[in-house]
Amino acid sequence: MFGYYVSLAIRSLRGTPVLSALMVAAIAVGVGASMTVLTLNYMMSQNPLAHKDNVLYAVQLDSWDPNEAYQRSNNEIPYQLTYRDAMALLRSDIPTRQAAMHRYGFTVSSDDFELRPFSAEARITTRQFFALFDVPFVYGGTWDADADRSPVQQVVLSKATNEKLFGGENSVGRSIDLNGEPFTVVGVLDHWNPSPKIYDLNNGPFNEAEEIYIPFGLHRKFEIYSWGNTNGWASGDSGEGYEGHLQSESVWIQYWVELQDEEQLENYRDFLTGYIREQKQQGRFQRPLKFALTNPSEWLVLNEVLSDDNRVLGWLSLSFLLVCVVNAVALMLAKFLRKAPEAGVRRALGASRHAVFVQHLIESGCIGVFGGLCGILLALVGLGTIRQLSFGYIDQVATMDWLMMLAAVGMAILASLLAGIYPAWRVSRTNPSLYLKTQ
Amino acid sequence: MLKMHNIRKSYRTDTIETHALRDFNLEVKEGEFVSVTGPSGSGKTTFLNIAGMLETASGGQYLLDGEDVSGLNDRDRSRLRNEKIGFIFQGFNLIPDLNLFDNIDVPLRYRGFNAKERRRRIEKVLEQVGLSARAKHLPAQLSGGQQQRVAIARALAGEPRFLLADEPTGNLDSLMARQVMELLEFINEWGTTIVMVTHDPDLARRAHRNIQIVDGQVSDLQHAVAAAEAATA
Repeated sequence: MFGYYVSLAIRSLRGTPVLSALMVAAIAVGVGASMTVLTLNYMMSQNPLAHKDNVLYAVQLDSWDPNEAYQRSNNEIPYQLTYRDAMALLRSDIPTRQAAMHRYGFTVSSDDFELRPFSAEARITTRQFFALFDVPFVYGGTWDADADRSPVQQVVLSKATNEKLFGGENSVGRSIDLNGEPFTVVGVLDHWNPSPKIYDLNNGPFNEAEEIYIPFGLHRKFEIYSWGNTNGWASGDSGEGYEGHLQSESVWIQYWVELQDEEQLENYRDFLTGYIREQKQQGRFQRPLKFALTNPSEWLVLNEVLSDDNRVLGWLSLSFLLVCVVNAVALMLAKFLRKAPEAGVRRALGASRHAVFVQHLIESGCIGVFGGLCGILLALVGLGTIRQLSFGYIDQVATMDWLMMLAAVGMAILASLLAGIYPAWRVSRTNPSLYLKTQ
Repeated sequence: MLKMHNIRKSYRTDTIETHALRDFNLEVKEGEFVSVTGPSGSGKTTFLNIAGMLETASGGQYLLDGEDVSGLNDRDRSRLRNEKIGFIFQGFNLIPDLNLFDNIDVPLRYRGFNAKERRRRIEKVLEQVGLSARAKHLPAQLSGGQQQRVAIARALAGEPRFLLADEPTGNLDSLMARQVMELLEFINEWGTTIVMVTHDPDLARRAHRNIQIVDGQVSDLQHAVAAAEAATA
């Protein structure tokens, strides 16, 4: 009977095109608006490293002001480390892998005179960054081990950068200029663009992944400052110049470790405890001993990637959908009661109340399918508008994947079924004899 | 076939209770053609609705084919209605946006026949009423007489044992009315029990038996005449 009811529903919808269009529009507008917001929330709350939740940890150390806790994070520990702490942690051999990093940028040029120099987002990091975050290589690999501590001018290019500079060829061994200095290409990444950019959430969680990657050991040689957030509490504490910056209490390094099991985790905790105690003896870390190892899922929550505002907006959009559903109820009631005489005939011919109810509920469901499809179009328009208004800031999240498209249709069907329950019930309860005599 | 005993039907509003049927007793035997007459508002249509299980009685007992239907739930009543009863209405009550084939298909769908069986039955009844060539026409493309023949075909498609007709010729001219009446008589000759509500005394006389409903109660005219004749003799 399902197929029969669907054919009746489509015939019925075609029979009253204006009313049907209004019902579809009511559902489509509600679904379109809510899916626009929910898609953003859904994409923002994705965890691209969910598969490493049990082994990957962001490291936080409370090296902050003895007189005042760090207020910007919910656990009152700075999101980033000082340079000297990062360098000290790098000396530990407990983690299976670890990486220190921060955001930077270069002007890139090459031997190709036709290619104009361009500025590129860069990540200054240690060699295990790529293995730590499952970054795929298409050519070559990460740099030499000593590049993390000594100035080795090697570079890894993103796929897009390699395309721009070398037309996508294997460029390993070739040279490019970064800020006028020659660097040798040691690796080229495959396409990789985690969203949110979980390894550095405090410098634009939805920015594109960097275009070039260079070793951590180059700081002193090129006096590299972070292009990302740098927070400090003690001014002029560590001397003048760049060395003073490196030894200061300013936090600007993100730090991640991979710990395979509970034992390794416990050992690393002991190591951090010991390190902080040692620093306390040297006059640093004057706050109560505190550090945190946070896995990717919790890191997203701690960094409030999906803010309370986003959540409120999500609920508001669902409220709007509810208003649309109420409108659809009124329209469906009008349509179904207009068809009550036909329902009376069907009852006389053997349809039970339940059969009449199901028939009309399936008609509601069909309205939902059409409403869902139109809602997807509206949501795509909405997301496109958001992309334009955000000037590329949230391009990666303002897109709809197949799952969300299916969810849109599912939501529309659910909404229209909810809207159809009362009208379908009403028409199934009408007394058929009222219409059979008067039709 | 149909037996009603002390059937009552009343409609209640906030202030008034109207008795449509009271102490209503009737028995219709298998194969009978019974006409039902009576003044407007006497309860004819209420009787027909209760007989067709479109409404439930307020009290009394109703046996259809020996089965007490008074206490059945909606699903069972609908199933019985679909299997045993065919309806013919004054206003034809064809579904306007379905063609003749699909209109006749409606009761067969609820019966659960497969597509092949439905097609066989539809083609058979369309042939019986002489409208095979119009299967794809919409009701609005037919005359009133043709529409009523389609309604009869729809009622017959499920091969019911009991046909309820409510003023089946009321909207037809005399020629078409005669044709429809002849069709009903033909159907009755093949064994279908028919109860027909009519205002037309000529049509009423063509039935095997005529009952009159007055003030919600049955007055069996032929039994009354027979009793009067017996008393005179």
